[in-house]
Amino acid sequence: MESAFEFAPAIALFPLAAFVIALLFGRQLPKRGALVGIVATGASLVFSLWAALAVATVGSHREPLFEWAVGEPTSETGVEGIEFTFGILLDPLSTLMLVIVSLIALLVHVFSLGYMNAEGETGLPRYYAELGLFTFSMLAFVFADNLLMAFIFFELVGLCSYLLIGFWFRTESAPSAAKKAFLVTRFGDYFFLLGVVAIAATFGTLGFAGEGSFVEAAGEAIDAGESLFGVDPELWVTITGLLVLGGVIGKSAQFPLHTWLPDAMEGPTTVSALIHAATMVAAGVYLVARMFGYYALSPTALAVIAFVGAFTALFAATMGVVKDDIKQVLAYSTISQYGYMMLGLGVGGYVAGVFHLMNHAFFKALLFLGAGSVIVLAHHKQDMWEMGGLKSKAPVTYYTFLAGALALAGIIPFSGFWSKDEILYDALIVGIEQPVFLLAYAMALLAVFFTGFYTFRMVFLTFHGEPRSDAVRDPHPVGLSIKLPLVVLGVLAVVAGVANLAPVAKLTGLEITFLEGWLEGGIGEASYLAYSGAVFEGAEAVYATGVIGTESTTVLVAAGVSLLLAFSGAGAAWRLYGVPEPVRHTESLGGAYRLLRANYYQDEYQVWLASGFTLPLARAADRFDQGVIDGVVNGVSSVSLFGSGRLKRLQTGIVTNYAALLVLGFLALLVALGVHGGWFL
Amino acid sequence: MALVELPDWAALAPVLALAATALVIFVVDGIDPRRTDRQLLAGLAAGGSLFALALAVWFSLAGVGDPGFELFGGQLVVDEMALFFVVVVAVVTALISIASYDYMTEHAYQAEYYSLVLLAATGMATMATANSLVTIFIALELASLPSYALVAILKENRGSVEAGLKYFLIGALSSAIFVYGVSLIYGATGHLQLGAIADVIAGEAEAGAGHAIAEFDGMLGLGVLMVIGGLAFKTASVPFHFWAPDAYEGAPAPISAFLSSASKAAGFVIAFRIFTEAFPIDAMVGIGVDWTVAFVVLAIVTMTVGNFAAATQENVKRMLAYSSVGHAGYALIGLAGLSGANGEFVLAAAMMHLLVYGFMNTGAFLFVALAEHWGVGRTFADYNGLASRAPMASVAMTVFLFSLAGIPPFGGFFSKYFLFVGAIGVGSTAMLVVAAALVVNSALSLYYYSRLVKALWIEEPTIERATLTKPTGIYAAIVVAAVMTVVILPGFGPVADAATAAAAALVA
Repeated sequence: MESAFEFAPAIALFPLAAFVIALLFGRQLPKRGALVGIVATGASLVFSLWAALAVATVGSHREPLFEWAVGEPTSETGVEGIEFTFGILLDPLSTLMLVIVSLIALLVHVFSLGYMNAEGETGLPRYYAELGLFTFSMLAFVFADNLLMAFIFFELVGLCSYLLIGFWFRTESAPSAAKKAFLVTRFGDYFFLLGVVAIAATFGTLGFAGEGSFVEAAGEAIDAGESLFGVDPELWVTITGLLVLGGVIGKSAQFPLHTWLPDAMEGPTTVSALIHAATMVAAGVYLVARMFGYYALSPTALAVIAFVGAFTALFAATMGVVKDDIKQVLAYSTISQYGYMMLGLGVGGYVAGVFHLMNHAFFKALLFLGAGSVIVLAHHKQDMWEMGGLKSKAPVTYYTFLAGALALAGIIPFSGFWSKDEILYDALIVGIEQPVFLLAYAMALLAVFFTGFYTFRMVFLTFHGEPRSDAVRDPHPVGLSIKLPLVVLGVLAVVAGVANLAPVAKLTGLEITFLEGWLEGGIGEASYLAYSGAVFEGAEAVYATGVIGTESTTVLVAAGVSLLLAFSGAGAAWRLYGVPEPVRHTESLGGAYRLLRANYYQDEYQVWLASGFTLPLARAADRFDQGVIDGVVNGVSSVSLFGSGRLKRLQTGIVTNYAALLVLGFLALLVALGVHGGWFL
Repeated sequence: MALVELPDWAALAPVLALAATALVIFVVDGIDPRRTDRQLLAGLAAGGSLFALALAVWFSLAGVGDPGFELFGGQLVVDEMALFFVVVVAVVTALISIASYDYMTEHAYQAEYYSLVLLAATGMATMATANSLVTIFIALELASLPSYALVAILKENRGSVEAGLKYFLIGALSSAIFVYGVSLIYGATGHLQLGAIADVIAGEAEAGAGHAIAEFDGMLGLGVLMVIGGLAFKTASVPFHFWAPDAYEGAPAPISAFLSSASKAAGFVIAFRIFTEAFPIDAMVGIGVDWTVAFVVLAIVTMTVGNFAAATQENVKRMLAYSSVGHAGYALIGLAGLSGANGEFVLAAAMMHLLVYGFMNTGAFLFVALAEHWGVGRTFADYNGLASRAPMASVAMTVFLFSLAGIPPFGGFFSKYFLFVGAIGVGSTAMLVVAAALVVNSALSLYYYSRLVKALWIEEPTIERATLTKPTGIYAAIVVAAVMTVVILPGFGPVADAATAAAAALVA
C-alpha cells in the first residue's frame, strides 16, 4: 500500500495538468476542457481513496518533497536553522478532506456540463482552467505538511476564488464582488502571514505534525515554562494562534470578515457550490483542525474560536431569514454553518467539527447545485418570489434539494442532524462546567431555529404553492449531467450521518463512531499512527466537562432541545409560506426587518472604515509624501542647481583671479589649521 | 632561486622602460625629421607603455614590492604601492597613445607629442617610487613640464594655447609653494628623506640643528600645509583646481584624459607616501599638526565644488573636468580617514578608486575625443541622438558615466562603496560628515551624468548627421576601457588584495 504514498502528489498534479491543458488547448477540445477536468478530478478521487486506504492500513505518512530555502537563524526556542519545504502529510484528516474535495470537484465538473456548456456560456476554456487551478491549489493546501506551504496554497485558492467570482467580468457587479472578496480575505491573510512568521521565528519549524513540528515544540515550550519573546509561552501561543486565526476568519467568512461571501454569489452557481460552500471556505476551518493540537494548548484561543463561531452562526442565520435570492439564502446559511464548525472546534469537539465539515460539504454542495438546477429551470431567475410550484415539474431536483434542506435544518435522521447535534452536545457539556460557554451554546441553539425557518422558507417558496411567474410555469428542462450529481449528493446527505452516530453510541454502547475511530487512528481492532495526539478525544481533552444527571440524559436533552427548535423553525416556515399564495410577512418584523435587510449595516461600516478612515489617512500620507518628502527633494535639487550656477562664476577665466583665489584659499586653510593646532601661540 | 641575480636597480625597470621609449621616439624622429611615420610612433609609444605595464604587473605578482627595494640610499623605493600606481599610469598612457593615433591626424609635432607623453609618464611613474622630498619634487616637475607643453600642443588653437599658459602659471605658483614647504620642513627637521623626517618627528632622532622638533611646530605645520598645497595642484583639488577646467577643456581630449587620470593618480601616490611615511599621524598630532583636518576640509570642499559646478555645465568636456575635480575629493577621503583604526582600509579604497577611475574617466574623455574627431560639437545638445549613429561607443560611454556616478554593477560603484564603508568605519564625527558628503555628491553627480546618457539615447538629434566614421584606435581604446570598467568587478578580489596589501604596508 505504500506505493499510494509515492503517487500522492499526483492527486494535486492531475488538476494542474487539466489547468494547463484547458488553458492552452481549451478551444480545440470537445466540451471546451470539461472532459479533461472530469478525468483529472476523477483520477484525483481514485488516488485520494487509495491514499486513505493506505493510511488505514499502514498509518500516516509524512514526506518532504522539495526544499526550496534554508535559513541560518536560531529560533527563540534555540532551534538552529530553518528549512522551507514543500511536503505532503497524509493522515486521517487530510485524506478525508482529499476525498471530499476531489469528490465534490468531480461532481461540480460534471454539473458544469449542464450548467455552463449546455447554456452556451462563452469563455469556457478559461472557466475550466481556473476550476482546474483551484482544485490543484485546494488539494495541495489540504495535504500540505507545513504552515508556509499551506499559506501559499491558501493564497492560491484565494486567487482562484477571485478569478471565478469575476468570471462574468463584463457585468458591473461581478468584478466588484471579486475585488471585495479578494480584499476582505487579504485583510485576514495579512494576520495569517504575521502568524506564520511569528511561529517560524519562535519554533524554527513550520511542520504540522510529528517529530519536529511546531505543535510539539509549543507543547515543550509551555512545559519548560521559559518565556518566549519576553512573554509567557502560553500567552505567546495564544497570540500566534490568533494571528493565524485572522486568515481563518477571512477565508471561512466568520464575523466580522463575512461580508465578502454573499457578494461572491455573483460567480457561476457551480463555483459557489465548489468554492464558496463546500471546499475553499472550508479551508479556514480545516486549518484550525489541522493545527488543533496547537490551539488546544491555549484555552483562550479556543474560547475565541468558539465565540466567534457561535456568534457568526446566529448572526448569519438571522440575516438569511429575509433574503429573496435563493443563492443569498444559501450564502448566509454557509456562513452560519461554518460558525457551527468553529464552535465545535472551539469547545474542543475536534471530531464534531470535522464531522460537520464533511456533512456540510455534501449537503451544501447539494443545495447549491440544486439551486443551480432551479436557476436553469427558472430561465436564470434567482428571486424566490418569482418561483413556486417546481415540485411536480422537477421531481429529481425537488427531492434531492429536500434531502439537503432536511440535513441543513438538522432534522433527524439526516446527516446534518448528527453532526450539529454533536457540536451542540460538546458545547453543552463544556458549558455545564464553565457557564460562560452556555452563552455560546445558547446562541448556537437559537440559530437552529432560524436555520429551520429560512431553510424551509426557501423550500416552500421555491417548490411549493402556485407558480408565480411565466418562467417557472414553463421550466427549462435539465439534463442528466445536472441530475446525476444531485442524486449522488442527495444520497450522501441522507446517509453520511452514519459515519459517526455518537448519540446512538452513547445510549447503546455500540461501537459505531466510525469517524472518531478513523481520526483517532483505529477502528475496532486495527490501529495506525494518526498524528492527532490527544485531540480526538472530544471536548474532554481540553476542558473540564459535566453532565446533566447521567450522560444518557444529557445526550437526550441536547438532542431533544435542538430537534424541537429545528422543527419549530421549519413549522413556522410551513405556517407562513407553505400556502398556495405566500406573502412576504415582512411588516410583522417591524424595524428589525430593515436591520436584517441591510445585513446589520456591516457593509456600511466597513465601507465607512475604508472611505471615512483609511482614505483620509492615505490622503494625508500622500500629502505628506507630495508636500514634505517631494518638497524636500525638489528643494534640494533647486538649491543644488542654484548653487551650481553660483559656483560656476568662481571660474572667471582670468588667471590672476585664479592665483588670488588660490592664495586666499590657502591662507584660509592655514588660519583654520593653525588655530586648530595652536601654532601661533 | 632566480637563475640570474638581477641588480637592485632592475626593480625600476617599468620606469626605465617608459623613459627609454621616450628616448627611442626622439631617436627615430631624429634619423629622418621630415618624414613622420605616425603608425610607427604611436606603435612605439603604446608598445613601450604596454611593456612597462607588463613589467609592473609581473613585478607585482612576483612579489618584488614585498617588502620593497630601497634604492640610492632611500631616495627611491619600489614597493607594492609604487607598482600599483605604475600600473595605473602605464594603463592610461597605453590607452591614450592608442587613441591619439586617430585624434592627432593632421597635427604637426607627432614625435614630440608622443615623447612628451612618455616623458610625463616617466615623471608620474617616478613620483610613484620617489621616497624623498627632493626626488618627489624632481619627479613632479618631470611630470609637469611635459604636461604644460602637451596642453598647448595645438598651437593653431587659441583655446589650447591659453589653457597651456594658465596651466603653466598656476603650476609655477603651486610648485613654488610646494618647494617653499619643502624648505620649511627641511628647516624644522634637517632631513629630506621621508623615513628620516619621520624619525625626527617621532623623537627617535635629533633634528638637524640640535633643537627639539616641538619648538618648531608652527614652521613644520606651515611646511606641511604648503606641501599639501603643491599636491592639491597636482590632484586638482580645491582651491588649487582652477587650472583644471580650463586646461582640460582646451587641451586635446586624450591629454585631458591623461592629466585627469594618470597625473591625478600620481599626485595622490606622493600624497599617500608623504603622509604615511614622513608624517605619521600619531606623532604629528602629538606636536599639534593634525593634517587629517586639512584633508577632511579639502575632501568635502573639493567634492562639493566639483560636483556642484559640474551640475549645470553645458559643455561636455567641461562637465567631465569638474567631475574630475569631484573625484579628487572622493580620493582625498583616503587621507582624511587615516587617523582611525580603519585607516588602511580607507586608504586601500582610495587606491582602488583611482585605479577604476583610470579606466572610466579615461574612457569618458576618449569618447569626447571621438566626438571631437567626428566634429559633432561640444555641448550636451550636440551629443543628442549619437546612440543611433554609434551604438557601441554610446554603450561604452553609458558604462563610463554610470560607473563614474557609482551605479552597480560597474567598478565605480564598488570603489565608492568601499570608500563609504571605510569612512563610516573610522568612526569620527568628521568622517561621518565626509561620508554624508560623499553620498550627497554622488546623488548629485548622477543628475549630470544621466543628463548626458539621456542626450545620447533619448533626445532627438538637432541636426541631420551623415554616417560617422569609426576610427580604429579610439574605438579600441574606448572598448578596452569599457570592458575593464565592467570586468574589474569580478577581478575586484585581486585588485582589492593588491590595494589592501599596499595600504597595509604603508600604514604599518
